[in-house]
Amino acid sequence: MTSPVWQRRRAAAATLWQEFSRNKGGLIGLGFLVVVVVLAALAPVITDESGLDVITATGTPLQPPSWEYLLGTDVDGRSVLLLTFWGARVSLLVGFAATVLSVFIGTLVGITAAHFGGWLSAVLLRFTDFFLVLPSLVLAIALSSVLPKGIATIILAVGVTSWPATARLVRAQTLTIESRPYIERAKALGGGHAHIVGKHVLPAVLPLVLANTTLVVGSSIIAESTLSFLGLGDPTAVSWGSMLQTALGSGSVTAGAWWYLLPPGLAIVVIVLSFTLVGRALETVLNPRLKGDR
Amino acid sequence: MTVTSPLLELRDLGVSYRTGGQDVAAVKGVSLTLGAGETLGIAGESGSGKSTVAMSVLRLLPRSAKITGEILLAGEDVGGMRWGRLRAVRWSAASIVFQGAMHALNPVRKVGEQIAEPIRLHGETGTAGTGAPDVRARVEDLLKQVDLPVGKASAYPHELSGGQKQRVMIAMALACRPDLIIADEPTTALDVIVQAQVLDLLGDLVAERDIGLMLITHDLSVLASACRRIAVMYQGEIVEEGPSATVMGTPRHAHTKALAAAFPTVGDPRSRFAPATAAPLPPEPDPPAEPSALLSARDLRVVFRDRGGAKVPAVDGVGLDVFENEIVALVGQSGSGKTTLARTLLGLQRPTSGTVSYQGEAMPTGGAGLRAYRRRVQLVLQDPTSALNPRHTVYEAVAEGPRIHRLGGVQGDEHSIVVAALEAAELRPAETYLSRLPHELSGGQRQRVVIAGALALNPSVLVADEPVASLDASVRGEILGLLLRLRRELGLAGLVITHDLGLAWNIADRVAVMYRGKLVEVGTVEQVLLEPRHEYTKSLLAALPMGTARAAEPGV
Repeated sequence: MTSPVWQRRRAAAATLWQEFSRNKGGLIGLGFLVVVVVLAALAPVITDESGLDVITATGTPLQPPSWEYLLGTDVDGRSVLLLTFWGARVSLLVGFAATVLSVFIGTLVGITAAHFGGWLSAVLLRFTDFFLVLPSLVLAIALSSVLPKGIATIILAVGVTSWPATARLVRAQTLTIESRPYIERAKALGGGHAHIVGKHVLPAVLPLVLANTTLVVGSSIIAESTLSFLGLGDPTAVSWGSMLQTALGSGSVTAGAWWYLLPPGLAIVVIVLSFTLVGRALETVLNPRLKGDR
Repeated sequence: MTVTSPLLELRDLGVSYRTGGQDVAAVKGVSLTLGAGETLGIAGESGSGKSTVAMSVLRLLPRSAKITGEILLAGEDVGGMRWGRLRAVRWSAASIVFQGAMHALNPVRKVGEQIAEPIRLHGETGTAGTGAPDVRARVEDLLKQVDLPVGKASAYPHELSGGQKQRVMIAMALACRPDLIIADEPTTALDVIVQAQVLDLLGDLVAERDIGLMLITHDLSVLASACRRIAVMYQGEIVEEGPSATVMGTPRHAHTKALAAAFPTVGDPRSRFAPATAAPLPPEPDPPAEPSALLSARDLRVVFRDRGGAKVPAVDGVGLDVFENEIVALVGQSGSGKTTLARTLLGLQRPTSGTVSYQGEAMPTGGAGLRAYRRRVQLVLQDPTSALNPRHTVYEAVAEGPRIHRLGGVQGDEHSIVVAALEAAELRPAETYLSRLPHELSGGQRQRVVIAGALALNPSVLVADEPVASLDASVRGEILGLLLRLRRELGLAGLVITHDLGLAWNIADRVAVMYRGKLVEVGTVEQVLLEPRHEYTKSLLAALPMGTARAAEPGV
């Protein structure tokens, strides 16, 4: 029984990849992502962590790019290249973790609202609307200033403010699935809520959620950078946002130290663009409504 | 227009579509002629190429279609016409009544304007001009011809019923006084009574105006009542052509026989308990000594609220019993509350008042009790394509019920339950179907999978909501045969919901006629269909295109 099922799944994955690979933007984005994620994961292996310590830093402050320091040094004499390297770890970690949180809340709220309907749906939807209209940055700032500083707080702040869009999307998709006659058949067979959601709704909703997830990662990274830039992040961990903040706060910008600003800035642009490209490509492949337009 | 030159002549018409780099022939070597005042019916199943023939007459086929042979419209070759000439010919020489009036009308324009559109475009010559008052007069005239009140010209399509919309379509087709009307499934989505009205109207128009009518449908009985000649299409070819009575009475081709048998004549003893199926039916088992009611409804009411908050009774005080070892047909027009009644019986819709009971015990309203109830009473839906999750294999679809009820604790048990259910639904050998997906199966096979899914729970009552309405004629008889066989072999009682009296005659023991939420007549099939007492039942029977055998005897 399992072998034909797996064969078909493999075939489905192959067609998916084929369609995805036709989208050039998506491929380029995916390529960048793989490179960045691998580099970030291997950072402790290929670089020396001691270079991050202000005390053991070897360079002189604000040195322009040279052969010794390819991207120059920061105000404390640390290599900007090394900082950008390590910053990727925090940015990606926060981006992924916040996304998981946000997509989880969004999917839960969306499916619950659509499946149960009635007053529960009304309450959940108003709740969603509340988070949708609230300026999420202000909410995140409020949250991270109340909670203790740290990566966990940033993840929480980004996660709980970015789920409403996912909830809306999942709710709409769930409603279309639940209007199909096979749901009626499942009910007549005696299936309860868990059966209908687990067997019919979730498998049909998940592909769209996956595409949505890749888009949310991009915006979560931006949100993390913003919060860190505003000084709300973990002061001990280096992230791209906190690099920008230190650059601004220490007067490196007015001193003309462009090498301190550009690498984290460009890194944010590249990683977010890659996620967006991959997300859009996945969306066109997975969402049948968008397929015809290409 | 003279009688000698035919209105329409197809000479060796062939149409092929180019898909995926290869040509697929949809129509092969079709030759037909249709003269003024004649009616020609084209019968065939979905995919037989009948609609392609209709579209090719006015060159309405998509670009991917390649046409060979000749299409002569009043002696002029359509294929050789220039664009301007073709535009002039479309609608003024020949017009089409499209399939599905619901979608062929523009929802945001008044129907009067839509009828006037071809008149304005073609600048009709003759008595009326194209000035606004003339056009309005012509539209009113057309509405009168199709028996619609003149005031309906200012109605939007959603304000009209299905039959009225279909009449608007016919009025549109008549707008430019064409000599030829092609009606593509004009009555498929309509109820029997409305269908009879539309067919009468088309017949009267042919007789009065001496036009030619080409009627296309899958329902041979409709053609037999409305057309003088019938051509039967099968896989792109005409397999049989001749006068209606001959084709219907003594069909020669196997496919025609299947089509003719699929729509039995009510009252014909040959088709009683004999749906058109290839496999033999088991003999009638001995009736149980004391039949007890399995499923019964008492004074059941379901009231919906419309947008304004007004109460709309969908099911209005229904009392119905389904006994052991019998099939009850629930007959009625769309909107009569049949489906709501079925959903209530299955516990999918909560009754406003009244009770549903199984073997004398009231249906539980929720929890484990309701789940246990659903093991006993199962559902078969109308459209098998949408009733199966497209992502689930046949095995998963059939195993769904047993898994919910934890019937097969061990993997092996579940497997044997699924195989047994598929065998019972006559999908043999079952092993070859297990890993297939719904889209790889035909419509009839899909419906068998749905039935197998219900059988896997070993129910005692099967509620089937229009189980064959979306299936092709040849498959129809097989599915009905299956239901009858299941009753005779397994003693599975059935409540079959249908708008089709022929189906009831084919397999049912008793008939319940539903009209506006109430059961107006309940009794054995012979009683109700041959000696109807209620006016509504009489009008349903009178609207049957073939009539009933008893009613037809003195005339024919």
